[in-house]
Amino acid sequence: MKTIMEARNVKNERVDDVHFELMEETLTTMIGPSGSGKSSLLMLLNRLEDPDEGEIYFKSKKIEQYPINELRRNIGMVFQQAHLFDGTVEDNLKFGPRLKKKWSQNLGSELLEKVQLPVDILTKDVSHLSGGEQQRVAFARTLANDPEVLLLDEVTSALDMRTVEWMEKLLHRLVDEEGKTILMITHDLKQAERLGSYTLFMNEGRLEEKGETSELFRHPNSNALKKFIEA
Amino acid sequence: MTNISNLSLLTMILFVMIPVSLSYLYSLGIGKSAIWSSLRGVVQLFLIGYILTFLFSIPDWQGIGLWVAVMLVIASFQASRRGQGIPHAFLLSLSSLILIEVFVLSLWIVFDIIPFRSEQVIPMSGMIIGNSMVAAGLAFERMKNEFHSNQGKVLAALSLGANASQASQMIIRKTIRAAMIPNVDRLKTIGLVQLPGMMTGLILGGASPIEAIRYQIVISISVFSTVSICAMIISLVTYRFFFNQNMQLQTIEGGND
Repeated sequence: MKTIMEARNVKNERVDDVHFELMEETLTTMIGPSGSGKSSLLMLLNRLEDPDEGEIYFKSKKIEQYPINELRRNIGMVFQQAHLFDGTVEDNLKFGPRLKKKWSQNLGSELLEKVQLPVDILTKDVSHLSGGEQQRVAFARTLANDPEVLLLDEVTSALDMRTVEWMEKLLHRLVDEEGKTILMITHDLKQAERLGSYTLFMNEGRLEEKGETSELFRHPNSNALKKFIEA
Repeated sequence: MTNISNLSLLTMILFVMIPVSLSYLYSLGIGKSAIWSSLRGVVQLFLIGYILTFLFSIPDWQGIGLWVAVMLVIASFQASRRGQGIPHAFLLSLSSLILIEVFVLSLWIVFDIIPFRSEQVIPMSGMIIGNSMVAAGLAFERMKNEFHSNQGKVLAALSLGANASQASQMIIRKTIRAAMIPNVDRLKTIGLVQLPGMMTGLILGGASPIEAIRYQIVISISVFSTVSICAMIISLVTYRFFFNQNMQLQTIEGGND
């Protein structure tokens, strides 16, 4: 398996000396207490922030070497809240592709199908959607750029159980069938076990433990992870 | 026009005493401030009266140049106070207001709307600069508030590959719209709810209502246009300060005045 992203000794005010590799076409989960630096790490990987120290690589090149818009398009990010733009579902879905003049009505239908929303929702104003629907539109909006890596920040936390199950299936499909690489923050340890081949455990800004999910959960090394699992 | 005598003016003290008494009656705590503001207002207006008399007595280009410059500096200073934390807020306000004043004055003179005379240009420029000052201040404030409350959306836009300008479009649109809406509403009800200040002044000064509305049309349309231009310039220049060179959102500190 090839490394698609790598963080080397990355440091800023919320993240402390983080070092890890993200394997191509895998789903890695990231767990850890609130305020442990998980979201900040995703922001660094998407280059929405820069580290004070250390380097981040994407496909063996430093992320600074890519044009920043191209990099962000290739490393898609979905936030904990949908943060939809004012307007219709279509306005949101075409935001990314339109920047590259690649939008077509068919793409809109395909994306909605992928996130299991009816096609007639395209012309609906986003303010009329439920929280779950908004989150799915946000997800589809990121998929519209066809990114190679997906950074997901607790995207299932506001969804009901049925939608979570569906979302987990979609994530597996994206990895297995479309070859995406996913790094997903979750607070739900069971979800991390169900989903991830690999898991990163963040604590107080440090990457405390990393490894295969089943192994990590069965034999945690650090007291922090033991406590986190027991809590 | 009937002159208001000094004695008649003194009776205005009675009017001031009403809010002052209300303040004491209901413990509003603004009694001193009401007296001070009224006194200050009276002194300021008398002072302006004498200054204008002087300005109207010197050659037009000198009077206009001198007083428009003073108004531009004071207005820019006032507008930039609302832009605390935004780099070069004063210079930006000043250059926007200069641009607007030159633009409007040129149109007025070139199309022979008003003559280049201190009595005409100074009060009308005052209205343009004053309204643009308010628009600039509100645009600064709005940009800060919008970037603060829409941080998530801006980050989402950046993460989708937008550059700073594309990620700010929604905020720029909202800012310009917010500056235009009150003027659209004002134009809709102009003359119906209350007679505009300039028109009132001209009628009190003895001008015919038809003559007065001609001036009012000129000033209302000019204000509408300049306020929109001002909000547009401020928002189109200031959005850049909310991003660093790597198109990353940066916080602008500084409270609103």
